[in-house]
Amino acid sequence: MMDEKGQTVRLEIDSELANTTLVAMAVRGLCAMTTLSPVEVNRVELCVVEIVNNAIEHAYGSEKGHKVEVSVNLLKSYLTLTISDWGKPMDEGKLGDKNFPVDADDPAAWLCSGRGLPIVQSLMDKVEYQSVDDKNSFIMSKQIRS
Amino acid sequence: MPFESKSEAGYTIVSIDETRLDASISEPFRVYLFDQIENGSNNMMVIDLSLVRFMDSSGLGALVATLKKMGGEGTLKLAAAQPAVLDLFNLTSMDKLFTILPTVTEAIEEK
Repeated sequence: MMDEKGQTVRLEIDSELANTTLVAMAVRGLCAMTTLSPVEVNRVELCVVEIVNNAIEHAYGSEKGHKVEVSVNLLKSYLTLTISDWGKPMDEGKLGDKNFPVDADDPAAWLCSGRGLPIVQSLMDKVEYQSVDDKNSFIMSKQIRS
Repeated sequence: MPFESKSEAGYTIVSIDETRLDASISEPFRVYLFDQIENGSNNMMVIDLSLVRFMDSSGLGALVATLKKMGGEGTLKLAAAQPAVLDLFNLTSMDKLFTILPTVTEAIEEK
């Protein structure tokens, strides 16, 4: 039985896109301990992949040899994932937009990138970003049915 | 390279021999699709997604870039998208841009 602090596991990968799959698969396994549906598990995996990729590509400029940490905290009613890097902080102004406007008649406006954060914000129940000292953390939570 | 193409009924059928279409392969995938457009005789393409169990926003971006590259000339259809992939298209409203059919055969036969 989980107490209020829940259970926490920390994973660490080197900043290489091919390594994102490792944490994605681990998080899927942890989600299997919860009441999240298969669709919700897929969505949590997608969110983890998007934020880890953001850390690798934007915080570290796709440079290998840097640490990305994924902390998973399982509570009775919440799953909280914290993705941390020690690179360039994200522009917090990028948070907030979770719309996907599409005009099929205006190909020039079709975005080829930049959907990662809106996807995460639309799928997670709570999202926040913080930079403390050199550590940048993207914290996202998903409610779990008890 | 985990991408292959063949001709069938006037279409170029592109298949992806990977279960994950993510940021680690999305750029080579985009380049491959652009090559198909630039070197093909027509822009009639079906992308077989049957093996892809997971797609992230970069994989989606490669497909959108390909659709834009076609510039309204020709056809790009997606076939056999798996549940998590379909969910991504629905979430991002990209199902409004792409024609998604259950199988490659139906994609070829669809008018």
